[in-house]
Amino acid sequence: MRKILAALLAAAACGCGSRPAPPLPEVIAFPRAALPDGPKDPAWTPVPAHVASLLLQDLVEPRQLTATTAALAVQAVHDGSRLALRLSWADPTVDDLPGASRFVDACAVQFPTVVTPDLPAPQMGEAGRPVTITAWRASWQASVDGRPDDITALYPRAHPDHYPFAAPSLPAGSAAQQAMERRYAPARALGNVMEGPRMSAVEDLVADGPGTLRTAPQQFSRGEGRRTADGWAVQLVRPLPDGVGPGRRGAVAFAVWEGSHQEAGARKMRTGWIPLAIREGP
Amino acid sequence: MALVRNWQLGRDMSYWYPEARPTRQFAAVFDINKCIACQTCTLACKTTWTSGRGQEYMLWNNVESKPYGFYPLAWDVRLLDMLGAQRWEGSRYAGRTLFEAAPAGERVLGWRPDDLDYAHPNVGEDDCFGRIDRGAALSLPHAAWFFYLARICNHCTYPACLASCPRGSIYKRPEDGIVLVDQGRCRGYRECVKACPYKKVFFNPSTGTSEKCIACYPKIEQGEQPQCFVNCIGKIRLAGFVSVPEKARPDNPIDYLVHVRKVALPLFPQFGLEPNVYYIPPVHVPLPYLEQLFGPAVKGAVETYRRAPEDADLAGLLALFGSSQQVMPRWKRLGDTVLGLSEDGRELVRVPLREPVYVRAALDSVRGVVRTNVP
Repeated sequence: MRKILAALLAAAACGCGSRPAPPLPEVIAFPRAALPDGPKDPAWTPVPAHVASLLLQDLVEPRQLTATTAALAVQAVHDGSRLALRLSWADPTVDDLPGASRFVDACAVQFPTVVTPDLPAPQMGEAGRPVTITAWRASWQASVDGRPDDITALYPRAHPDHYPFAAPSLPAGSAAQQAMERRYAPARALGNVMEGPRMSAVEDLVADGPGTLRTAPQQFSRGEGRRTADGWAVQLVRPLPDGVGPGRRGAVAFAVWEGSHQEAGARKMRTGWIPLAIREGP
Repeated sequence: MALVRNWQLGRDMSYWYPEARPTRQFAAVFDINKCIACQTCTLACKTTWTSGRGQEYMLWNNVESKPYGFYPLAWDVRLLDMLGAQRWEGSRYAGRTLFEAAPAGERVLGWRPDDLDYAHPNVGEDDCFGRIDRGAALSLPHAAWFFYLARICNHCTYPACLASCPRGSIYKRPEDGIVLVDQGRCRGYRECVKACPYKKVFFNPSTGTSEKCIACYPKIEQGEQPQCFVNCIGKIRLAGFVSVPEKARPDNPIDYLVHVRKVALPLFPQFGLEPNVYYIPPVHVPLPYLEQLFGPAVKGAVETYRRAPEDADLAGLLALFGSSQQVMPRWKRLGDTVLGLSEDGRELVRVPLREPVYVRAALDSVRGVVRTNVP
């Protein structure tokens, strides 16, 4: 555990050579005039981290019964209206390409929709007591960074004979061609963009219990993930949670998926609720 | 877990959800003895449904050679090995189903194929069991054997894919029992890919969701048989609707073959899913192998099928296979004619019990030439 902590603190320090601050007992968002520009922005270096031990998701089926990612370092700053979180964790394998048996690295942050002393269940909330979630996936990041939606990403020497929507009779990029291509991707045609071309590496979601996760009506988060020397660092930016302005306290929970361990959905490492303090300041 | 009735096992069993049978259940009978593995069904499905990006390796319909053909690789033997030896007591299954054998933290005993397991759909093609020594081909019955197994989704009464999905993204249509993945709801966790013992749910890496055979439901809704049925040149397939044994109707062609004559059997009934594609087993394959695939009733099914030439009703119904694009929920035989009927008794198709045979003289005396069998 000591080794993991040292590695996480080193990761949290961006590898910039500064001595990391001692870990925090809770997640504290420090005030800043401007939010960092990404997970590798040196502005994160002096921000103290909370190191959250990750638990098995063994509350609901399918359960995760083998521990993988041990801990997660969380740094947080805010500008009075927006909250920026930097999550970093050790992960020696880069898993950013989905395939039949290939799963992708991912992380998520969860907030109760309404902050009350009696918080909803930390595993995706509960009926009538929803939670809001911001999720990042390594595959979405790869798409945003320019990886094409093409079978050759998975199998470089693959050579499909023909796609009907790529017929010469349809001018490439025309409205008719694009409409036909959408028809051959049923999930995308329904607006369910789980993979493929994406404009954002993150998604805002809501849930009110296990199995109820759904895309939020409004997408307001931004995010970016980058490789560190020994894992991932992900910056997520979203509005401060409702009712948790400067000087207030709330709660937050985290989850990490290790692609090389075929983790997805409920198979994940997670935290319970962790106190979140939004510090006041200039 | 709920206790549900699985008539294929002759007992109740545990399932994730309570028993909720559809108004009518889509079903099919495949006559293995007639399949020549031309893969026309595979191509009919492929060109209709899975020619998009991310579907390159996907075959909702495939035909594999048994015993050494698999798609994906080792789909059946791997699970049989995981489940371990089980036993039947007569027609009652005394072993554990995949739901009853689920390990801690799981809803179903299953495994997820590797990417490369999908890479060789023709592995084992035409490989036979047994040695072909000198002269073996001249002896009958042949010492070596293989057969072609055409496979689609079984649209099971108790689907493992549906039970395993933690999001409830898979549903069974109450009107016809067709099992579908909601493409608007699936988030690509692939629990269904792991749980389906027949490996008939596939992950699409381009959309990030899982996809599967939809039994061509837009055609079923129009009263037509699916693409892989109507394009089958061997006429091995018949689509329809199956009843539970207590409500079986002899004038329902699927019921007649499954319940009345018991000549068509489910594939791996011991898994406990109550699959709804029924197979007329190959008559030339050793019983122990067939019993593993089709259960203890297979001996009787083979014997019944062998007697079909003297059995006007059975032979007549088999003549209806591939005779019409339309689903024939009812049928009847009138002497040497067999009728495929609609639900309300309207005639859809009429076929002779036996196709007439015409023999032409080898010599065309008018033109003074010898006829040859060329188009």
